[in-house]
Amino acid sequence: MDNPITWERIESLLHRVQKPGRYVGGEYNAIHKPWEKTDLHVCLAFPDIYDLGMSNYALMLLYDILNGAEGILAERTYLPAPDMIAEMRRAGLPLYTLESYRPVAAFDLLAMSTAYEQLFLNALELMDLAGLPIRAAERDERHPLVLGGGHGTFNPEPITDFVDAFVIGEAEELILEIAGVMRRTRGLPREAQLRELARLPGLYVPRFYRARYHVDGTIAAVEPTVPEAPATIFKRLVPRLTPTPLRQIVPNVSIIHDRAVVEIQRGCTRGCRFCQAGAVTRPVRERPPEEIAEAVEGLLRETGYEEIALLSLSSADYSRILPLMEALKRRFAERHVSFSLPSLRIESFSVDLADSLSGGRHSGFTFAPEAATDHLRRRINKYISAEQLFTVAEEVFRRGWRTLKLYFMIGLPDETDEDVVAIADLARAVLRLGRRIAGRRVEVRVGVSTFVPKPHTVFQSEPLVEEEAARRRLALLRQQVRGRGLHLGWNDYRATRIEALLARGDRRLNPLVELAWRKGARFDAWDDWSNYDAWDAAIAELGIDLDFYLYRRRSEAERFPWDHLHSGVDRRFLLRELRRSERGELLPDCRHRCYACGIYTHFGKDYGSEEWQCPIPALHR
Amino acid sequence: MPDTGTPSLTRLRLTFATRRTLAHVSVLDLGRIWERSLRRAAVPLRYSQGFNPRPRMQFAAPLPTGCGGEAELLDIWLDEPRTPDEIAAALEGKLPPDLHLRRVEAVVPDAPPLADLLRASHYRLLLRGVEVAPAARAVEALLARTEVLRPRRGRRRDRMYDLRPLILELRAAPAGKPWDVALWMHLRAEVGATGRPDEVLAALGFDDLPRRCTRERLILAAQEGADGR
Repeated sequence: MDNPITWERIESLLHRVQKPGRYVGGEYNAIHKPWEKTDLHVCLAFPDIYDLGMSNYALMLLYDILNGAEGILAERTYLPAPDMIAEMRRAGLPLYTLESYRPVAAFDLLAMSTAYEQLFLNALELMDLAGLPIRAAERDERHPLVLGGGHGTFNPEPITDFVDAFVIGEAEELILEIAGVMRRTRGLPREAQLRELARLPGLYVPRFYRARYHVDGTIAAVEPTVPEAPATIFKRLVPRLTPTPLRQIVPNVSIIHDRAVVEIQRGCTRGCRFCQAGAVTRPVRERPPEEIAEAVEGLLRETGYEEIALLSLSSADYSRILPLMEALKRRFAERHVSFSLPSLRIESFSVDLADSLSGGRHSGFTFAPEAATDHLRRRINKYISAEQLFTVAEEVFRRGWRTLKLYFMIGLPDETDEDVVAIADLARAVLRLGRRIAGRRVEVRVGVSTFVPKPHTVFQSEPLVEEEAARRRLALLRQQVRGRGLHLGWNDYRATRIEALLARGDRRLNPLVELAWRKGARFDAWDDWSNYDAWDAAIAELGIDLDFYLYRRRSEAERFPWDHLHSGVDRRFLLRELRRSERGELLPDCRHRCYACGIYTHFGKDYGSEEWQCPIPALHR
Repeated sequence: MPDTGTPSLTRLRLTFATRRTLAHVSVLDLGRIWERSLRRAAVPLRYSQGFNPRPRMQFAAPLPTGCGGEAELLDIWLDEPRTPDEIAAALEGKLPPDLHLRRVEAVVPDAPPLADLLRASHYRLLLRGVEVAPAARAVEALLARTEVLRPRRGRRRDRMYDLRPLILELRAAPAGKPWDVALWMHLRAEVGATGRPDEVLAALGFDDLPRRCTRERLILAAQEGADGR
């Protein structure tokens, strides 16, 4: 079973599938360590297709860290597209890794990204295609230990029956500690091995916790059942950003984000109240500009990429962003390389930045105001005045852009139909402005998604907007955002409902996840491949109470299914913020003053470093 | 165009092979793979002007997805002269594992584009799931036809074209394990008249068989005749 699958067996399926280059590996910088000379074999998996998974930065980092360690081999696998899955099942070919073509089942550890809810069912499909029992209880020491990681693990409760352990927070150090324990406990029964693993700070082994419920169905407690398991699991974080992997794998086929990556900043100090990433990735850590420039130099040499993405949650918030960009442009002017910055805030400064990056090419400019009315912008703590937005939009058109993309959410707390009509008004006003400056060819593209109240955010106790209201508001937008120069994009409410259910679910949803998968649901993020009918049928069959999970407002005292997992941001802080939100009050960027979210209290003492953008709170001075 | 210029070492012709994994990429992918490989090798590529500068590179002919090649041709243009040996040395260790550089030669800068010189391609297809005798009979039957109408690819699917004149030579032979049959195809490859191996397979009724496809050779017009068409 450890033997590689022969090239001929893989090759014989390839003429029947789209884009076969996804399934064969052979990329520059892929690492092929000898199987027999390494004693711990790790399969890193992204449970969606190669085109998406290859640009996942967390897996790139772990690949680099694990393969850099003595005696550890790490290889990659992705979930094939449905056509290849069908061919593999028909041919009896199990899922294999792209380096050695070994079956995933031959590895010691299957470390899988469960970064967002739409990956959860794919994770089951991936295990099943690998020939593994999907339920953790049916696997033992003969199978790989299955590990989940990524932001999605801040509430992994709906998939606790399937995954052996979850990394809460940042995995760079923890992954090697896990490897160490696995080597030390080799040969032990799985249960005993997991008890040892449960001692590692930041590792959550769900089988050692039991949930109790009140009669109304809410959670009374989630408690450990063995002494090794802590009552509260604090996330892990690294005090300073891990060095950039320079030998990033260069794919042979086109992928969605086909570029090299430098993470310039982790975390965000803005405190948008809907944003889970901002809440769970604190504190803000910046990579020094010299280190970024060196990383770019190394990446150009090692990958040959012509584009480098500078990753962060909010590019313009990197404290030395202008000098950084000027230095990069100067140093790499002759190298035919372009830089991209995601997530620009609505400020003239962002337009300067983007303009300086564009090299004269102005394809489309993107902003995410999220809400179109003043009171909602205050409610979500992402404030921008109408005048400021128009000023910035004007600047965008003046500098030569013809397309402006604006992203909004519907279903925000306290939202009314008028708030949504205001999105259409705003889009039309921006279009008029654009036409005045840049003529008839101007386009305004409006993207709307439905707000999902995410765990560990200020809005974690909010309900999901009802289907009827969401559909009515979308219909209003579809009536009003139309005509020449205006485009509207939106997502299916059914997809949002599933995302919300998984985001907010507790352990009692494990049977639903399994049943929905058995009925054919998977690829929940894909329009063409998803199967919401299967989900609906499973929800109906099990009598899942959507009102309970999605549509009620929770009290301040309610225990959430994820409360035993701690992001470092305290519930107290989130509640204070919720009240400020209800009063329409803003919380300024915490880079200048500490509002005691908890991250420094919990981690500053042991970890705090110069590179944190945390002003030290009064109580620690 | 008279072929009297001397190579200036700013246009070089690379002969290369793609095997296994790289047989399954598209021609666009292969362009990107070469571009990034040459960048890793710090070869001074000549870039186009404009908002989206691209390096100047030309393949002789797109390799169909699913086919490897044993002697593919690529012309690259440089900003600074480099000798073939310098290019070969620079590319050492910079190519993905299934891309093999076989030869580098200097070309006169105003030599005609490779695509204009191309006349024919030789393919070898190994097939599994058919015996030699029925394969040979299918080949014979196909060659006996005066016309083999096939739907065009792409947007103009409703229009038909005749595949038969594009087949210059076709024969079936036994193949070693794990294959059953080898098909040798010589197909015309001229601007506007290019035969594709998967089309021939389909015409033979073998389109669903596991296969390994290799373009063994590209046949170019003799240099002095290149402009005499």
